[in-house]
Amino acid sequence: MASTTADLPAASRGIALRKSEGQWTIVLRRFRRHRLAMISLFVLVLIFVASLMAPILAPFPRDATGLAPRFSPPLTTNPQTGTLHILGTDHVGRDFFTRLLYAARITLSVAFSVATAATLIGMTLGALAGYFRGIVDSIVMRVLEFMASIPDFPILLIIASILITDPKLLPYPPFVLDLIGNLMLLNSVGTERAQVLTMIVVLTLFGWTGAARLMRGMVLSVRERDFIESARSLGANNVRIILRHVVPNAFPPLVVAYTLSLAGALTAETALSFLGVGITDPTPTWGNMLQFATNFMLTNPWVPLIPGIPVVLCSLGFNFIGDGLRDALDPRLKM
Amino acid sequence: MLNYLIRRFVVIVIMAFIISFASFVLLYSAPGGPLEQLASLQSTTRRPDPDEVERIMKRYDLDLDIGVRFLRWLIGHPRGAIMINGQEIAQNFQVGCLKPGKAQLVYPDGRVEEINCAKPVYLRDLDGRPVSNGVIALDFGRSQQLARERPVSQLINTRLGPTLLLMGVSTFLAIAIAIPIGVYSAVRQYSRFDYFFTTLAFFGSGMPTLFTGVMGILIFALIFKDLGLPYLPAGLATSNRDVVIPLFGQIESGSVADRIWHLILPVGVLTFFSLAGWTRFIRSSMLEVLRQDYVRTARAKGLIERVVIMKHALRNALIPFVTLLAGVLPTLFGGAIITESVFSWPGIGKLFINSLTASDYPVAIAYLLISTFLTLVGFLVSDVLYTIVDPRIRMS
Repeated sequence: MASTTADLPAASRGIALRKSEGQWTIVLRRFRRHRLAMISLFVLVLIFVASLMAPILAPFPRDATGLAPRFSPPLTTNPQTGTLHILGTDHVGRDFFTRLLYAARITLSVAFSVATAATLIGMTLGALAGYFRGIVDSIVMRVLEFMASIPDFPILLIIASILITDPKLLPYPPFVLDLIGNLMLLNSVGTERAQVLTMIVVLTLFGWTGAARLMRGMVLSVRERDFIESARSLGANNVRIILRHVVPNAFPPLVVAYTLSLAGALTAETALSFLGVGITDPTPTWGNMLQFATNFMLTNPWVPLIPGIPVVLCSLGFNFIGDGLRDALDPRLKM
Repeated sequence: MLNYLIRRFVVIVIMAFIISFASFVLLYSAPGGPLEQLASLQSTTRRPDPDEVERIMKRYDLDLDIGVRFLRWLIGHPRGAIMINGQEIAQNFQVGCLKPGKAQLVYPDGRVEEINCAKPVYLRDLDGRPVSNGVIALDFGRSQQLARERPVSQLINTRLGPTLLLMGVSTFLAIAIAIPIGVYSAVRQYSRFDYFFTTLAFFGSGMPTLFTGVMGILIFALIFKDLGLPYLPAGLATSNRDVVIPLFGQIESGSVADRIWHLILPVGVLTFFSLAGWTRFIRSSMLEVLRQDYVRTARAKGLIERVVIMKHALRNALIPFVTLLAGVLPTLFGGAIITESVFSWPGIGKLFINSLTASDYPVAIAYLLISTFLTLVGFLVSDVLYTIVDPRIRMS
C-alpha cells in the first residue's frame, strides 16, 4: 500500500507525457492493484450472474417441499427425477441450491435497491441543504441530528416488525409491486412482494443519512470555489451548477459510500430476516435460511454454512471493493 | 456551564417524549397484541366471546383513545373522575369506546344525539381500573405476553445482569487489545504488523456477528465436542447440570467457572467485531497526533521514544476517545441484539427481540425508551467530558 503515495508523482508525470490516459483509466489501474478488491469483484460478479440466471440454473421449483428426505446431504440424487441436490435439502425437503440462488437474487436486489434509493435521496437532500442553505438546510440538519441521536437499530427493528408482519399497512402502487416481483421472481399471490418492498422502504428510511451528510459537506466546500463563481457568471442556473459542477466533485467519496452502504443494507436485511422481523419463509433470503439452519444446527452442523458463506462473501466483498475504490479514487482519503 | 447543562437536559426530555409518543402510537396501532392473540386462540374452536374481548380491552386499556392511553402510560393518570375540593368534575367526559357501532343518547330533556359508539367509556369508568404509576415514576407497566402480568421493570432487572456482563467484558477486552495494536500500527505505519492488523480489522468489521457467532458455535461447540477436545457451550449463560469437559475436568452448574465458560464464545465474537472499529480509531487518532509539532518538540528535546509515544502522543490521541466511550453507554444496557439471539444469551437484547416477535409492546417500548434516554445522556456526558479533557474546547 505504501507504493500508492510513492507512485503519485510518477503517475502524474505519466499523464503529462501520455495525454491519452484519462481519469478513469488511472482509477481503474489503481483499483486493479488492490488484490483483495479484485478478488471480491470477481466473486461478487460470479454470485451476481448466478442470481440473474436463477431460473435457468435452478434444478427444482423454489418452494416445492418434500422433494427428498429432510436434510439430505449435498450431492444426493433425487429419487423421482434423478436430478442432483447439489447442496442437499432443508428442513422441509426443499432444494438448498435452488433456494440459495433465488435468495441471492432477492437479497442482492434488496441491497442494491436500498443503497441506490438511500444514496439518491441522501444526495438530493444533502445537495439542496448545502447549496441553498437557509430553511432547507436547517430542516435537513435537524432531521440528521435527530436520526443520529436515536438508537437506530432498535427503532429499525420495531418499525420492521410492525410493517413487515402486516405488509398491507402501506398502500403500494401495483406497478411498483409488479416491478419488484418480476425483478426478484416473487409470487404474485399473497403478501410476498409487499413484504420485500416494505423491507426496501424501511431500510432506505434509515440509510440515507450518511450520503446526505457527505453530500452536504462536499457541497459546502465546493460552492465557495472560484469555478462555481465563474460558472454562475457565465449564466449557469442552479440545477446546472449542482449537476455539472458540484456533483462530479463530490463523486469519489459518494461512490465509496455507496459500496459500503451496499454491505450495510445486505447485513441489515440479513439480520432482520434472521431475527424474524424481516422477510419470512417461504420467500427465501440468506437471513431466514440461516435462521432455520441454526435451529437444526445441533443435528446438522454443516447446514448453516450454506447460507452463511454467501452472506460473508458479499459483506466482505462490498467492504473490500469500497476500500479499493477509496484507494483508487482518491489516495488522500486513505484511512 | 449550568445553563448549558439545563438546556441540553430539556432537549433530552423533549426528544425522549417525542420518541416515546411516536413509538407508543406506532406500536399500539399495529396488529398483534393481546386481542388478536385471543382471536386466534378462539377462532379454531369458537367465535370470540364478547365478554372476554371486553375484559381484555379493559385490562389493557385498549378501549381508550390513544391520547388518554398514552397519558395513563406516561404519568399513570387519569384514574377516574377528576376531584377538585371533593367535587367530581368531568366525570362524563368520553375517553374511549368499548364497542364500535351506532347508538342513540337520549337526554332527560328529550334531546336525542347519534354517536358512533355502542358502548362509550367515560372518565368515571376508569375508577378502580389497574394502572401503572407511569413511566415518569419508572414504572413501565406490566408485560402482556412474555410473562403475563409481571412488571416490565422486573423483567428488565433479571436480564440486566447477563447483558452488562457480556457487554462490559467484551467492550473492555476490545479496548484493552485495541490500544496497544492501534498505537503500534500508528508508530510503525505501513509495516508488516500494521498491514496485517489493518486487514484483520477489516475482516472483523466486515463479517456480521451473525456469521462469526454461528461459525464459533459450529467450530468450538460442535466440532470440538465431536473430536473430544475441550469444547465451549453453544448458548445460554449457565449450564443446567454439571458437565465434564475433556482435558479440563468437571464444571459445576452455576459456578463461576461455568459462567466464564459460557462467556468465552459470545465475548470472543463481540470483541472480534468491535476490535476493528476501536483499533482503526486509535490508529488514525495516533497518526494525527504524531504529526503534531509538540511531538516533534518532545523528540527534539531528546526524550526517549517510549516517553514521547506513551506520554506526549498517546495521552492526546485518547482525547477523542471519550466521545466513543459515551457511545458505549447505551450498548452496555441495550446489549447486542444479534449476538444474544445467536447464543440464546438471557440478556436484554434477546428480551427486546422476543417482545417484538410476541407483540409484547410494553416491554418493547420500555427498552426503546431507556435506550433512547441513555443514548442522549451519553452524548451529553461525552460533550462534558470533552471540555474536561481538552481545555481548548468551550461549551456554548
